[in-house]
Amino acid sequence: MMDDFEKQLQGAFQRKEPSPFFEARVLGAVKRQARERRASVRMRWATAVAAVLIAVVGSAWQHQRSERAREDSAGKEAKARLELALRITSVKLQKISQKVEGI
Amino acid sequence: MKFAIPALLVVLPLAAQDVKMPANLDRLEAKASEVVNVQLDGALIQLASRFLSDKDPDEANVKRLVGGLKGIYVKSFEFEEKGQYSPSDVEELRAQLRSPAWARIVGASSKKKGENSEIYLKTEGGQITGLAIIVTDPKELTIINIVGSIRPEDIRDLGGHMGIPKIDIGNGKPDNKDKKDKEDDK
Repeated sequence: MMDDFEKQLQGAFQRKEPSPFFEARVLGAVKRQARERRASVRMRWATAVAAVLIAVVGSAWQHQRSERAREDSAGKEAKARLELALRITSVKLQKISQKVEGI
Repeated sequence: MKFAIPALLVVLPLAAQDVKMPANLDRLEAKASEVVNVQLDGALIQLASRFLSDKDPDEANVKRLVGGLKGIYVKSFEFEEKGQYSPSDVEELRAQLRSPAWARIVGASSKKKGENSEIYLKTEGGQITGLAIIVTDPKELTIINIVGSIRPEDIRDLGGHMGIPKIDIGNGKPDNKDKKDKEDDK
């Protein structure tokens, strides 16, 4: 009875050689986990950089758009004033021309 | 320093202006029934010309003509009644136009109607660099100053474009080219 138990105990504590690819599998698993962790960090960085880029480009685009709208408004106003000035000048010149021709 | 920049912004357009509009004209605004005050310096003219179409022949022509201008200043007052301004109000302006650079090329007046119209040209080195127009009648006063390279031909070419009439105000004697142009126009 005792012998059986000792045998079982011996068997249980007996050194067993790992399977031939055990080390390679463990190292592979460790490398894969490290790779996945690095990819995850890169992904997080890429997302953050993309978000910042979108914010910067969006802000620049919005600024440019409002600048263009402001310039557009100022340009149209200036054009209207130019046309008004030319119209007044033209009317006055026409009147003077008529007077001179009438002399 | 705080006031230097606003002061500079006020002075700069005046510096570009060939003829300094008399300060006493400002008080006429309160008496006038209609006031037009247009002040376009070189930068504003360039900005405005960017909004003139190259495809529209009239606008393209005006764009070409205003390309050499450094300023357009118009002050026009219309009054409900006669005698709201005095001849002395424009005398200061006429005094400026008596300088050697300026020459009065047209002067037309009617004592009966109380109207007076004058056109002055400014020349520098044989080139016309400015135009001034003063039109007064009992109920109206208009002063126009155009600064820059503006030849009588340019003014003539404005005729028929954007409501601008055809006129000849060269040296008073239309040359053969003018006559030919007129015949071509017919």
